[in-house]
Amino acid sequence: MLKHPMLKYIREEGPAGKRLPFILCPGCGAGQVLNYTLHAVDEIINQPGVKKEDFVFISGIGCSSRLTSHYLNFDSGWTLHGRALPVATGVLLANPKLKVIVFTGDGDAAAIGGNHFIHAFRRNINITVICVNNGLYGMTGGQVAPTTQPFTITPTTPYGNVEEAFDLCKLATVAGASYVSRWTTAHPFQTIKAIKKGIANKGASFIEILSQCPVHEHKTPVEMINALKGMTVSIDKSMNSNKIPVGEFHFAPRPEWTERYEAIIEKCNERIS
Amino acid sequence: MIEIVINSDYCKGCSICVAFCPRKVLQTSNHINSKGFMLPEVVNLDACTQCMLCEIVCPDLAIAVTGK
Repeated sequence: MLKHPMLKYIREEGPAGKRLPFILCPGCGAGQVLNYTLHAVDEIINQPGVKKEDFVFISGIGCSSRLTSHYLNFDSGWTLHGRALPVATGVLLANPKLKVIVFTGDGDAAAIGGNHFIHAFRRNINITVICVNNGLYGMTGGQVAPTTQPFTITPTTPYGNVEEAFDLCKLATVAGASYVSRWTTAHPFQTIKAIKKGIANKGASFIEILSQCPVHEHKTPVEMINALKGMTVSIDKSMNSNKIPVGEFHFAPRPEWTERYEAIIEKCNERIS
Repeated sequence: MIEIVINSDYCKGCSICVAFCPRKVLQTSNHINSKGFMLPEVVNLDACTQCMLCEIVCPDLAIAVTGK
């Protein structure tokens, strides 16, 4: 039977029987982002000299983070809540030739892992952070998150959210990431292009993908994707608009952390000999 | 010959493929799979241009189109 081309990167059968379908709710944006990521990774693997073994996926805790080590047929790690970036730093220091992809959610990256988030970008480590931002804590019941838009009604803010939302792209830019872009699940080709550019960039890359949680926002997935299209605007036209800008925010390659570290090791070895 | 296959074990009936298809090839149907989700069906295969958009946007990797 004809199969989806990306199923070659998924472990369909496990020791306990069938793994698929995914544990996600119907119409979840995290599944779409995984599909986009696999398309981008597939295009890179098809280039000469790149192997499947070069890729490592690291994730923390959350809806989106369940997708990597449970289903992917790549080397992957499932770590503590918010601590995907320190583990990814360790993986990269052990073997700087690897392409490390951190698959994370907004609660994982911005809330509990906020400090790791800014310091990983300050060091400019050669990792690609793909952040599925659905603006709430989906796994625990849809509570308010640091990325929830103001006035949104959630179970913990029944009269509307009073706080301002974190702009993760601005935060990553000022923290020192060398590639920053934001897209939504309604922009498949742009997202695939951004992920490819992020993986190719030697340095810290941050790709935020605005996503939908149809279960906790009580709408159909299609309604939510259309709403995402309506509430975003291209970065070129975002000057006099109160919509969320999407596009490539920042691209400025600068010296990478593991390279600097290896230069120090060489210097020390010279001094000893 | 173009062929569109929907894996009824993996599909969760979210209808994202139906909404994204620019040529209205797919449609939600009354067919229900073993988990109770309403599956999409192919209604206008002649209009398909193999743009692969349904394959790229599927959150459950459940739809497949023959490649060009």
